[in-house]
Amino acid sequence: MSDFDPVTLEILWSRLIAITDESAAALVRTSFSTIVRESNDYATVLMNADGDALAENTAGIPSFVGILPRTLKHMLARIPAGEWRPGDCVITNDPWMATGHLPDITMAAPIFHRGRLVGFSGSIAHSPDIGGSLWSADCRELYEEGLRILPVKFLRAGEPNRDLFDMIASNVRLPEQVLGDLWAQVTAQQVLARRLTEFLDDAGMPDLRALSRTLHERAEHAMRKAIEAVPDGDYRSTILADGFDADETRIECRVAVHGSELLVDYAGTSRQIDRGLNSVMNYTYAYTVYPIKCALDPLTPRNEGSYRPVAVTAPEGSILNPRFPAPCNARQLTGHLLAGAVYACLAQAIPDRVIAECGSAPSLRALFSGVDARGQRFTQILFASGGMGATAEGDGLSTTAFPTNSGAGSIEAFESLAPVVVWKKEYRMDSGGAGRHRGGLGQEIVIEVRSPEPVRLSLLADRQKYPARGLRGGGDGAPVEIALADGRQPHQKSRTMLAPGDRLILKFAGGGGFGDPRQRDPAAVREDVENGLVSREAARRDHGVE
Amino acid sequence: MRHRIRVGVDVGGTFTDFVLVDEERDLIYTGKRLTTPDDPGDAILAGLERLVRDAGVSVQALDGVVHGTTLVANTLIEGTGAKVGLVTTRGFRDALEMGREIRYDLYDLFATRPAPLVPRRRRHEVAERVAADGTVLEALDPSDVRRVARDLRADGVEAVAVCLVHAYRNPAHEQLVARVLAEELPGLPVSVSSDVAPEIREYERTSTTCANAYVRPRMQRYLERLEARLAKLGVRGPLHIMLSGGGITTVRAAREHPIRLVESGPAAGAMAAAYYGSLARTPSMISFDMGGTTAKMCLIEHGWPARVHELEAGRVRRFRKGSGHPLKVPVVEMIEIGAGGGSIARVDAMGLLKVGPQSAGAEPGPVCYGRGGRFPTVTDADLLLGYLSPDYFLGGEMRLDRAAVERAIEEHVARPLGLPVHDAAVGIHNVVNENMAAATRMHVAEKGRDPRRYTLVAFGGAGPVHAWGLARLLKIPRIVCPFGAGVTSALGMLVAAPAIDLTRSYVARLASLDWARVETLFAGMETEARALLTETGADPAEISVRRAADMRYAGQGFEVTVPLPDGALGPARLGEVEAAFHATYRERFGREIGDVAVEALSWRLSASAPVPNVSVKFGGQPTDAGEPRKSTRAVWFPDTGVAPCPVLNRYALPAGLEFIGPVVVEERESTTVIGPGSRVTVDAHLNLLIDLEPGRP
Repeated sequence: MSDFDPVTLEILWSRLIAITDESAAALVRTSFSTIVRESNDYATVLMNADGDALAENTAGIPSFVGILPRTLKHMLARIPAGEWRPGDCVITNDPWMATGHLPDITMAAPIFHRGRLVGFSGSIAHSPDIGGSLWSADCRELYEEGLRILPVKFLRAGEPNRDLFDMIASNVRLPEQVLGDLWAQVTAQQVLARRLTEFLDDAGMPDLRALSRTLHERAEHAMRKAIEAVPDGDYRSTILADGFDADETRIECRVAVHGSELLVDYAGTSRQIDRGLNSVMNYTYAYTVYPIKCALDPLTPRNEGSYRPVAVTAPEGSILNPRFPAPCNARQLTGHLLAGAVYACLAQAIPDRVIAECGSAPSLRALFSGVDARGQRFTQILFASGGMGATAEGDGLSTTAFPTNSGAGSIEAFESLAPVVVWKKEYRMDSGGAGRHRGGLGQEIVIEVRSPEPVRLSLLADRQKYPARGLRGGGDGAPVEIALADGRQPHQKSRTMLAPGDRLILKFAGGGGFGDPRQRDPAAVREDVENGLVSREAARRDHGVE
Repeated sequence: MRHRIRVGVDVGGTFTDFVLVDEERDLIYTGKRLTTPDDPGDAILAGLERLVRDAGVSVQALDGVVHGTTLVANTLIEGTGAKVGLVTTRGFRDALEMGREIRYDLYDLFATRPAPLVPRRRRHEVAERVAADGTVLEALDPSDVRRVARDLRADGVEAVAVCLVHAYRNPAHEQLVARVLAEELPGLPVSVSSDVAPEIREYERTSTTCANAYVRPRMQRYLERLEARLAKLGVRGPLHIMLSGGGITTVRAAREHPIRLVESGPAAGAMAAAYYGSLARTPSMISFDMGGTTAKMCLIEHGWPARVHELEAGRVRRFRKGSGHPLKVPVVEMIEIGAGGGSIARVDAMGLLKVGPQSAGAEPGPVCYGRGGRFPTVTDADLLLGYLSPDYFLGGEMRLDRAAVERAIEEHVARPLGLPVHDAAVGIHNVVNENMAAATRMHVAEKGRDPRRYTLVAFGGAGPVHAWGLARLLKIPRIVCPFGAGVTSALGMLVAAPAIDLTRSYVARLASLDWARVETLFAGMETEARALLTETGADPAEISVRRAADMRYAGQGFEVTVPLPDGALGPARLGEVEAAFHATYRERFGREIGDVAVEALSWRLSASAPVPNVSVKFGGQPTDAGEPRKSTRAVWFPDTGVAPCPVLNRYALPAGLEFIGPVVVEERESTTVIGPGSRVTVDAHLNLLIDLEPGRP
């Protein structure tokens, strides 16, 4: 039985989550990385002395679900627990130990209370730069993709490891910002540690042992109950994606529900590829568990217990579990597909709890780098999204990403940081999949290069061949289209040079529809036509509405 | 400017509150009426007549009326604003609806977004383009604007918003649009982004401009009519309007920029708290306003509530950031959480006790009201713990049903949790306090502060009931519970000064800044500010001006507002400005970053007249004769459990009285709960000063 009554437990649990949220707020506000800010590409996690997650920050993104404890265990394997001193902080960005690509920096620091190790604070954040090829999908092996740091002490008893600092600073493009962000992570972890010791004092607890056990049991119990509500069975789906040139990506997914246990297996999935699309097992795991949690148990706070009833397996050497040193810089182009694969399985059992495929799974990114008119170097990523899939309850959200949750920055701010002009950023008519509920719309963006020198464009895109599919009779969303105004077609996963005056046209994919389009409320169809979201022809063709 | 007799009127969702201060006679009168939603002026007029009668003064003797209202916020929440047309740059008509393209709830697959204030068919584009540096890439042809004007007229719009890309940097095209629209659509209110919110970021600027246009026709009608009705009644003093930023302004300014009134009520509450804090000589305060649905907390430093330049209105999910319309307006910075007397307690799927954010509101209200509320609330738990009297709620106007509460808590909380009813009530009380403590702790920490340095100023119906428990959790040593907690916001309007906040965006690194341009921007803002404040009746010699800039390290996405040194700025003072940034940054985040350039985005000017020197003494004399002690009843406290506790009548407590908790002090609109060992002093203004650690110096 539990050592805590339900009132105390609620209070203690909420407070632990608030502590990780406070730590996350400190990280975001002091970060230089646009990706941390606009993409929420960060996490802060409290772990107990065994390295198991107790609380994760509320707004953390799916990429990092459940990963930090795994990374910490790798760190502990190289640096045994007895060698962690107060004020130490360990760092790594190894894709296999951590989050699947080099730009994500993972840190962990021990928390001591009254002289005893009681837990670890952890953080992950996407660095402004990690050297190598910038963010691109076309590298052949990991070594091209940037600097790799195996677990090593970043701080020793609070003192910076100068050799490591110098090594990082001499291998990245924006050393002050990169180091500034590493300090932001340290600050966030210090906040977490300080609050945790206050918490232990207030609660009169010597350590987190008893509380961990109870919290893990509760979260596990909630997840098991949610799985039990899904009819037992073996559900299968296949997802195809553009992949790299002739190498299309094929995801074979099997979701096996048995009682309170759920297994996701990817046997039969494409082999690993010598381009940066490989999703290491940690990333595959995170993007498999996240959509399951959304559909089955969205309300329970996450901790180690939430993940216990779910197992994820993928064959070694596949694109979902590649061997070192496979390139993996653009692993999101594969990992984001898994939500659609899992939902295509769950839709066979619980169609009302899932969503149709999303236009921005995977996300479409365009990275511009070069030198502006004042001779200053710039690197800017355009953040924007396609449409979400529709659900049994309503239309998909337009221009919104799922499963990732990257926002879009301001175009005015974008133009003040990079020598480009955005001539258009608007909804793409007829891009949402038709259905009883319409898929969310994608968007069209037109960008002109205005710098005196050519600019390097790195595209990270998919869904040109394979659009987001509808569910339960809903239609597919419009696919991605990428072209230059003069008709040239830049490669969707490579680097291209753009000349001054070139205009890039990006059409983001729409989400899939849900249900029979003929059952859509005619008033909703007319409203869409009146607002220019759906053409008259499409209204007639898909919905039979004049 | 000397006002001898002034009235503050706060129109809330349920009640309209009145405060009359007569400085000559050192008297204060208060009043309360039910709000008249169809025309809030009805309640104002009726209440005002009654108030002056009570005070024994004539309407003609009033030197001024200050008014705050929830009308703007309600219009946004209820979606009852005007039919608005938007004119924007070609290619950008969807900026308003796309927003930040973010899911505000990471785990909810079915979350919806607020409908845009202007539907797509009313968002019109004109061919034009200004670049980030303000140069014109594509000139605007007035005939294109005339084409749009024809469409707007045919559509029958009631107001127009104009927001063009980079207009914060170069407003010429927006001004041209406004001129052409004024010719083509005379009399139609036009809100222009470079005037309403001249700040970089097109979504936020468009949203603010559209919201202004959306509420403007209704507010214009309302304010014109109210002004006329007051004049007809015989009020000769000016009508001033409370702003969200804590200042007051003229009716003319309020009609043009009604969006700046969106949080006027809560802002007035914070101003009142600041005032009470200054009476109690406590410079650093957390104002704590707990009502039926929400708790609002605000940090006050050196007598000034913290302010920010952005808020959200009309949220789809009330307490979820990102689910509403962003507004770039100066506003008293407040955290609001779903913790009030009406917050409902329930057991979740995990078997844990949750309280709020769902609320029973005023109707049906808590179970104890006996008006059909079925689910136990915070107020119900407070009743069982002995904090509230079943016989003296709202001064005895409403009897509370204790037996019904016991049944409801048993059914919905105690049995599912396997706890006795009493323990469940304790749990509800503790969980709601913990929720408020967590939110406050986080807010204070984000500003790099420590709650232990602060005094809690508690008001609102439930504030004084929960202040002691909240203060204990936050380790706050001192609480002030002001007299007249029921009309705090109305009072706040009388202690607010005429003020205006202006902003201009000019993005540049400090090292390469055109300081002459900065000085020109500030000079323009100062001229505008002084003209407006003079119009409110302020003495030009007494106007104070503060300048600030939003700055960050180049490459960051968040800015901090940095107070600028006084006097003309120029390259010679670069070091001072940089030092000011570093100091602010260090205060907020605990560190600085070397070797990274600093950039400024927006330049802000705040101007205000001196704070009216209001004395709110309540005479220093108890208003009830007789024995302070009413009774003794069983009350629960964490360290003692349920034990007999004296109950005092607030209206019979004389200035200078001291006593030690546990004690419960009752007044009509609230109850102050003080736990064992805390020392209470009644000050000269009849405020209760509660010292939680009387042993410490």
